[in-house]
Amino acid sequence: MRPLAPQQPKPPRSAPETPEFDKLYRDYVDLIFRYAHRLCGEAESAKDLVQETFLNAYRGLKDFRGDARVSTWLYTIASRACMRMRRKRKGEPDRELSLDEFVPTSDGEFRLQIPMDGLTPEEALQNKQLREALDRAIGKLPKKYRMTLVLRDMEGLSAKEVGAIMGANERAVKSRLHRARLFVRRELSAHGITREHHGAEPEAGTGGADHD
Amino acid sequence: MTKKKPARTGRGRATAHPHPSGEGRCLDILRQLSAYIDDELPSDICGELRRHLGACPKCEEFIASLRQTVTLCRHSPAPELSAGERASLRLEILQNAQPRRSR
Repeated sequence: MRPLAPQQPKPPRSAPETPEFDKLYRDYVDLIFRYAHRLCGEAESAKDLVQETFLNAYRGLKDFRGDARVSTWLYTIASRACMRMRRKRKGEPDRELSLDEFVPTSDGEFRLQIPMDGLTPEEALQNKQLREALDRAIGKLPKKYRMTLVLRDMEGLSAKEVGAIMGANERAVKSRLHRARLFVRRELSAHGITREHHGAEPEAGTGGADHD
Repeated sequence: MTKKKPARTGRGRATAHPHPSGEGRCLDILRQLSAYIDDELPSDICGELRRHLGACPKCEEFIASLRQTVTLCRHSPAPELSAGERASLRLEILQNAQPRRSR
C-alpha cells in the first residue's frame, strides 16, 4: 500500500465502471424494490433488501450463466437474502399453516365477506382500511407463505417459477399458496373492515407476536 | 391431490357418510378452491366442483371471498422508488461492492 498523497482532494469514492451491472440495475431495480417492499411491508427494510440483493448479484454476475431468466435469478437472490435478514432481525418462528385451521366450523366462517361489493379492485383498494388490512394480513403470514403469495399473486409468476425461486416443488408451492390465500381471506374479513370503528387500537403494533 | 378425510365439524354427527353434497363434500371442495380459481384442475373434477358450487350457496360465498382476496392481491398498488433513491442506492451498492482496498 502506498501512503496517501497528502494534499490531493479526493473525490468522493465514486463507483467503478460497471456497464454490465448498471444495465442489470437499471432494468431490474424497480422490480426488485417492488418485490422487496411487498415482502418487508415498508420502504427502509425494502431498500436494505434491494442493496443486499444487488450486492450479491454484483458479486455473482460473472458466474451467472443465463440458465435462468435474469428476473428469476434476482428474485432468488432477494428471497434468500430476505430469509436471512428476517431471521437476524426477529426470532419469529416460521410456523407452518395447517389446512385444518382454515376449515370452517360454522356457516359464518363459510360466509365471511370481503368488503368490496360492486367495486372494482382498484376502487376497493382506495379504501385505506382495506388496503392496510391487506398489507397487515400479508405481513402476518409466515415468511415462506408470504413469499409464495407475493411471488404468485402479486408478482404474477407461475407456480413453476416460484418453485424454482424457493427451491420447492410445484405441489408444495400450490399447497402453500392455498393456505396463504385462506389466511389472508380470513384476516381481511375477520378484521371486519366494515366495522371500521373498532379498527385501530387492538391492531396497533401487530408484528407477529400473536402467532401462537 | 391427497384425499384427506373430511374434517368433522362437530355438528355433523348424523352424516356418518359424507353425502356428495353434504358438509364433507364442502370441506373436500374447500381444499381445492385455489386450484379451481387458478384453473389447474382436470376437467372432470372441475365440472364436479362447479356443479357443487351451483348447488351450495355456502361454498359459492366461500369461493367468491377467496377470489376477491386473490383479486385484491393482484391489484395491490406497487410501491416505487424515486429517481434519487434509485441513484443513491446504486452508489451505495457499488461502494460496498468494492474491495476494501481504499482504506
